[in-house]
Amino acid sequence: MKKIFHYYSLTPEWQHKLADQTETKVIDNKIIIFPEKIGKGQSYFTQVTPGISVFFIDLSLNTPLKICREVSENDLYIFHFDLSEHVNLIKINNEDYEIGSYDKLDLAIIDNQIESSYKPAVHERTFAVRILVDKSLLSNFIAKYSSKETKHQTKDKTQKKDEFYHYGNIDSNSTLLLQSLKTKSIHDLSFDSFIKGTALKLLGNFFSRFYDLENNTNPLTQAENEAMNKTKDFLLENIYGPFPSVVFLATMAGMSESKYKIAFKKCFNTTPNNFFIKEKMTIGKELLKSGEFHTLTEVMYELNYSKLSYFTSKYYELFNRKPIDDFVKKGH
Amino acid sequence: MKTIEHFYSADLSWVENFAKQYNGKVEGNFIIVPEDIQSGTRYFLDCGEGIVAYYINVEYKKNLHLIQKNSSNDFVGFYYNLTDGEATVSVHNSLYNVSRWQYNLSVIDGTLESDYNVTKGSKTFALCIFIKKSSIREYALNNRLKFPNIDEILNPEKNTMIRFDRMSNESFHILDDLRKKKVGGPVFDLNLVGTVHMLIANYLKKLASKRIIIQTVNQPDLTSIISTQMYLIEHIEDHFPSIKLLAEKANMSESKFKTLFNKITGNTPNMFFMENKLLRAKELLESKQFSISQISDRLNFTNNSYFASKFKEHFGVSPKTFVQDL
Repeated sequence: MKKIFHYYSLTPEWQHKLADQTETKVIDNKIIIFPEKIGKGQSYFTQVTPGISVFFIDLSLNTPLKICREVSENDLYIFHFDLSEHVNLIKINNEDYEIGSYDKLDLAIIDNQIESSYKPAVHERTFAVRILVDKSLLSNFIAKYSSKETKHQTKDKTQKKDEFYHYGNIDSNSTLLLQSLKTKSIHDLSFDSFIKGTALKLLGNFFSRFYDLENNTNPLTQAENEAMNKTKDFLLENIYGPFPSVVFLATMAGMSESKYKIAFKKCFNTTPNNFFIKEKMTIGKELLKSGEFHTLTEVMYELNYSKLSYFTSKYYELFNRKPIDDFVKKGH
Repeated sequence: MKTIEHFYSADLSWVENFAKQYNGKVEGNFIIVPEDIQSGTRYFLDCGEGIVAYYINVEYKKNLHLIQKNSSNDFVGFYYNLTDGEATVSVHNSLYNVSRWQYNLSVIDGTLESDYNVTKGSKTFALCIFIKKSSIREYALNNRLKFPNIDEILNPEKNTMIRFDRMSNESFHILDDLRKKKVGGPVFDLNLVGTVHMLIANYLKKLASKRIIIQTVNQPDLTSIISTQMYLIEHIEDHFPSIKLLAEKANMSESKFKTLFNKITGNTPNMFFMENKLLRAKELLESKQFSISQISDRLNFTNNSYFASKFKEHFGVSPKTFVQDL
């Protein structure tokens, strides 16, 4: 297997090392067209803003190749977006990660201080975008990242604070951006601006999703909310009757039972039955204090219970008091 | 009617004066304008490389007359204007309507004086990009573009750039994407600069594809074509209305209609319709309020699989995958 060594910097000069080893030349400090021997394809590098550069590679290999990235002095983070429709291997700290295709994990963030190597599959179109970002731009992000890593759902491993990598999914809007990049030709007049724009928007999407993660609660749709409120109103209107059953309520909301129960819990943070009992008890308390009844049993029947002990125990559960303590007897 | 005299430039020197004219102030990158003139946001950002972006998303409470008299003539302004309502620009005594359904992209040289009129109640969403002429030259040189007369084009004494045009559908949706973002903060700045670059890319693509310059199409024809576009957008959730009906609406023969539509929008009517329909579908998916089959029914696709295949063809990702990673 052929091995290629290279390093990254924000400025274009690093490309010459890569080009030398693949026996080709850098055109305009931007484009490398790989020779047929290695594979068909090209790469493109450009500086987006001071502190952000983007490297784009679109290549079908003919021989196995291992692209090893060496540590360089630049303080960088590398955002690797992979949109190949097969699995490539990325090796970080002697651990192999599969990257590529949509259902696999397709985003890696690597610290420039960690060595890594990239092994694209042979005879497949490998398509990746790497965004190099100066660490000083990201200090805020890193601080936040370290404090939040435990909550992060994706599979990630954190090294020491200043040396970390992250492994996760690209969000949908970014995937669309990358897909449209796939259809462009690097020789187009508009390509340079287009890839700059894409790189910035990718970063924008990543950070907005990243900072949004906390309030990502998967809310109910409007239609579901309406259905929930409808059944809630129904329960309140029939508070003096028996519990109408979840089957009935779910039909009313136009959902399956299990979906209904989950949605109800999301909406009101309790189960339908517990909600119903709680409301009943609140009414019960009012009735007890109203002084309209002679005995507890009368109140109990009013609320459609048939066992006083059940009523008492539920009442105690909720208010930590016995019904008799709140009872005001009807005066003669 | 309030009259404001101001100038723009490809650096941030215009901001102070601009805010003062409105009796407003500058806070961070925002220009705060008193509520009785307009409500909404004005945001500016230096994008580097001699490019300044100026983002406007406001509703006007008064008729406004803006007179632009620039002190420096070394820049070109690109105005992407999506005003719902009435907005006109007059340059050299000719009046152009620049709201969303008219010429919504104007390119005006900094040397020119222009009058911008906007009426009360108009909602403006616009992005203005000011680019230094020297940056354009540098850009052309770096990318080995062949503009044989670039010096002449950029020499203010010999030539003034002015062009009224319509932005491409793609540019429109790039702007629409930006509109959904919350203004301010580093994430927005990334998006804003990204948007500027993508708009420039689109503009260059357009120059390269040598489509006809819209200004040369005769006015009534252009209006009819745009009105059919408007009709298609308004009925985006229905079936495609047929070329025959559209041609009748535009008062043209079918063949003339098709050719002209293609020339002006760069797309066939059906493609234009489908593209916008799919973008609408994407928006609906993003709202997370509907299931895929609900959306496919609502947008009148024959069946789910046809919808899914069209979606995948256009975006490269199936609707299901799209929703999953949202």
